[in-house]
Amino acid sequence: MTLKPTYLLIITLVFSSFVSSVDESIINNNIQLLTSETEFEAGNTIALTFSNTNASKPNLYLSNSYGSTIINPHLENGILNYQLPKTFSNKTGVISWNLLGDDTPLSGKLNIYPKQEVTTMETYLGPPSIEAGGADYTMLVVIPKDIYDNPLKDGTAVSVKYQFSENKSKDVVYMKNSISYRNIYSETKTGRILISSECLSKNSKEYDVNVMPAIPTDFTITYNRNHEYADGNQITNFSTSIIKDKYGNIVSDGTYVDFFITNASNHILKTSGSTINGIAKAKMIHPDHEENWVVKAFIGGMAESDSLSLIYKQAILDFQIAFSDDNRTISVGPLKSFMNQMIPDGLEVKLHIYQNDKKVKTLFKSTFEGYTNFKLSSDIFTKGTYTFKIETAGIQKIYQNIKL
Amino acid sequence: MIGINKNILRAVLILSYIAITALVVFGISSLYSYLNTGADRSAILHTDIKKTDQYLPKITWAPLNNEGRPMNEQTLNAIENDYLDAWYVKHVAYKTNKTIGIDDYYTDSSRENIFNIIEQNKTKNITVEGTTLKHHPTLEFFSEDGQLVVITDNDVVEYKRIYENENIILETTEKSTYKVILLLEDGFWRIRHIIKQKTEVYNADINPVLNNITSIKGINYYPQATPWNMFGDKFDPAIITKDFKLIKESGLNSIRIFVPYEAFGKANINSKKLKKLTQLLNLAETQQLKVVVTLFDFYGDYSVLDWTLNQRHAETIVSTLKNHNALLAWDIKNEPNLDFESRGQKHVIAWLDNMIDLVKSVDKKHPVTIGWSNAKSAKFLKNKLDFITFHYYEDLDDLEAIYKGLKQDIPNKPIAITEFGMSSYKGLWNPFGNSEKNQAEYHKQAQNIFSNNEISFMSWTLYDFIEIPKEVVGRLPWRKRAQEHFGFITQNGETKPAFKYISKE
Repeated sequence: MTLKPTYLLIITLVFSSFVSSVDESIINNNIQLLTSETEFEAGNTIALTFSNTNASKPNLYLSNSYGSTIINPHLENGILNYQLPKTFSNKTGVISWNLLGDDTPLSGKLNIYPKQEVTTMETYLGPPSIEAGGADYTMLVVIPKDIYDNPLKDGTAVSVKYQFSENKSKDVVYMKNSISYRNIYSETKTGRILISSECLSKNSKEYDVNVMPAIPTDFTITYNRNHEYADGNQITNFSTSIIKDKYGNIVSDGTYVDFFITNASNHILKTSGSTINGIAKAKMIHPDHEENWVVKAFIGGMAESDSLSLIYKQAILDFQIAFSDDNRTISVGPLKSFMNQMIPDGLEVKLHIYQNDKKVKTLFKSTFEGYTNFKLSSDIFTKGTYTFKIETAGIQKIYQNIKL
Repeated sequence: MIGINKNILRAVLILSYIAITALVVFGISSLYSYLNTGADRSAILHTDIKKTDQYLPKITWAPLNNEGRPMNEQTLNAIENDYLDAWYVKHVAYKTNKTIGIDDYYTDSSRENIFNIIEQNKTKNITVEGTTLKHHPTLEFFSEDGQLVVITDNDVVEYKRIYENENIILETTEKSTYKVILLLEDGFWRIRHIIKQKTEVYNADINPVLNNITSIKGINYYPQATPWNMFGDKFDPAIITKDFKLIKESGLNSIRIFVPYEAFGKANINSKKLKKLTQLLNLAETQQLKVVVTLFDFYGDYSVLDWTLNQRHAETIVSTLKNHNALLAWDIKNEPNLDFESRGQKHVIAWLDNMIDLVKSVDKKHPVTIGWSNAKSAKFLKNKLDFITFHYYEDLDDLEAIYKGLKQDIPNKPIAITEFGMSSYKGLWNPFGNSEKNQAEYHKQAQNIFSNNEISFMSWTLYDFIEIPKEVVGRLPWRKRAQEHFGFITQNGETKPAFKYISKE
């Protein structure tokens, strides 16, 4: 909208550019490129020379893979000499140059190719562990480089060497896209593959890849217990067979095995263990009453065992109950096990108390030396008629209409 | 007396007790509420990602057909982000000759190459302002462990402006192909090797449009209540329809509108506003009016690293509207020559030059112009533009000569005057200003010149505005008052005498 007095500026600019362009066209006729070579090996000293019939010393613009700069000439005997900085002459790729200060400037391109002599083998290997069986593989990527950190030319041969137990192999691959790579497949056995590479007589260091067992196959389980009685105290041990993959390799230590135990009332108990040398072990305490267990083990999503059936016999066949202290003390016991020995401490005894056919409370106690006592406080259980149901080891006893 | 005094004393004591208590409670509560204000608890987790777009060159991936491991979209996005960031930090590094950010995007050995060049440029006081406008990467290889990729970035269009001792010594646009090896390190895809394979000077191949402009009789349009803020919350299709009807009935055939850059969301176009813009064009189409859309209003940065964001902005708008029947032409920017002084002529021209390329690459049908603020500037970029437009607020007596002179300089392109007009403000701030009668005479004379010379025109403007935003002409009241009175219709909605000459003599 508003008009600013930019005329002066514009006119000056136009005029000055016109004047300078006249100057430059004169320069242009006087400068000729002398360097005919356009291909250089990295690391060589590169200089562009121009014949120059006057004393002007125009600058030179350079641009390579990483950036751009301006360099100044050295004028001697009518020859302009532009020496490229090491940053430019050491890196491969195309360099474009422009002689500045011209309307129709001299320009051109140079190509720097790598020195075909390996200084380092840039090596990438991964994944570091693979699965046995011949389907899984690791990949070795090798970038042979010259002393200036340039990848060698595409098409350069790289031999990839690897050893696994008895077998040694050597494959030749060729560089493409500035890299070379080779997939190395596992065999059926677990172990370690040693890998190295070589390019133009330069050898890399040694790399290794672990071949891990494949996924486990189905297995069997066994159990082991002190006796067959349901005493709620002893422990049953479960154990797997040696778990292997389909090539006979023992699965990795730490493979997690879940044991599922289904009891007579279809409830599930779970225990678990990890493998050591292919065997996983797990434990479960005996039930406190007659039971029938079906046990099956799983390695999540991969393998399972056969199923195992266990029978636990009743350990306590009967027990006594005595009321005292106006029926406010109920003594349970002696509780005797399968050889008439006192049951080990800790067996749970439940006392359900009913009044007018309604459950008032359930009390829990553990046995000590074969006995346990319930004491009913008069503050909580006021005077009246109650029904008691005492339950332990799967046995129930009912006492009706007990007066407190 | 004593009794009354005692009662007063009591009342004062009780009241002061209440007042002190209230004050203490207020003090404690405000302290408590002060201690309870602050960051939202959810902020502890820093879950919201604040990402600002800094660098958005056009990137087009070739269909995936790489060797090695199959690529997935998420990883490719991560590679693209880091790869473009690598370019961005490099541009910043060469612009400032500082190495900030380079470590994150170049591996130990490759960053040395950049450091060396920076070192060299620093000693010679050379800086490079650069940007890349287009990338066409092809994924060549992805390693099995997902840690190494090779891409070939084809035809990277790279603009560079080289300064020596803060003077521009070279501007160049190159088209290069790079082979890039990137490694995944510390969660960054870093450039390990980059090798330029090909390079050449780039010239955008743009063609003149087939349908150029003819006989525009138009007006610059803002609704009366919302000048310079047309697409805000007060956008009202009913008012615009009414205005368009009036414009059409007055014998005009086109309007010129402005798209503000920041208000439209910069690189991420505000879709609501874009919808309103489309709706405005729909309304214009209904009234058989053609629209010149002026982009980048209220934009004045032009810095090279801003270009990619500007281009994404223009790309979205142009591609949305390019098939609209009401669209007449694109005006790249309003009066950019006014920024020559503050931003540098070369900077502005380079920006315009590249923006013309971008707009013409997206829309090949509609003509492109720049609304220069005077005829002198109209020669800039004349070969690239499809038609030439300038604004004229000088003495009408000189117009014919100026127009003919310009016509002689640029004989093969249509020329239009896309702003002209006269303020009818005469008052406290300018007692010797023009009256409404003067304004009418001005427009009569203008129409006379236009019809005699077959000049396409667009006048400024339909309405006298009530409120001018300070960004337009500043805060000075005499400028504001003048700007308020350029309309053909007064602030009260009455037509001024000039309205008679809105479209004809």
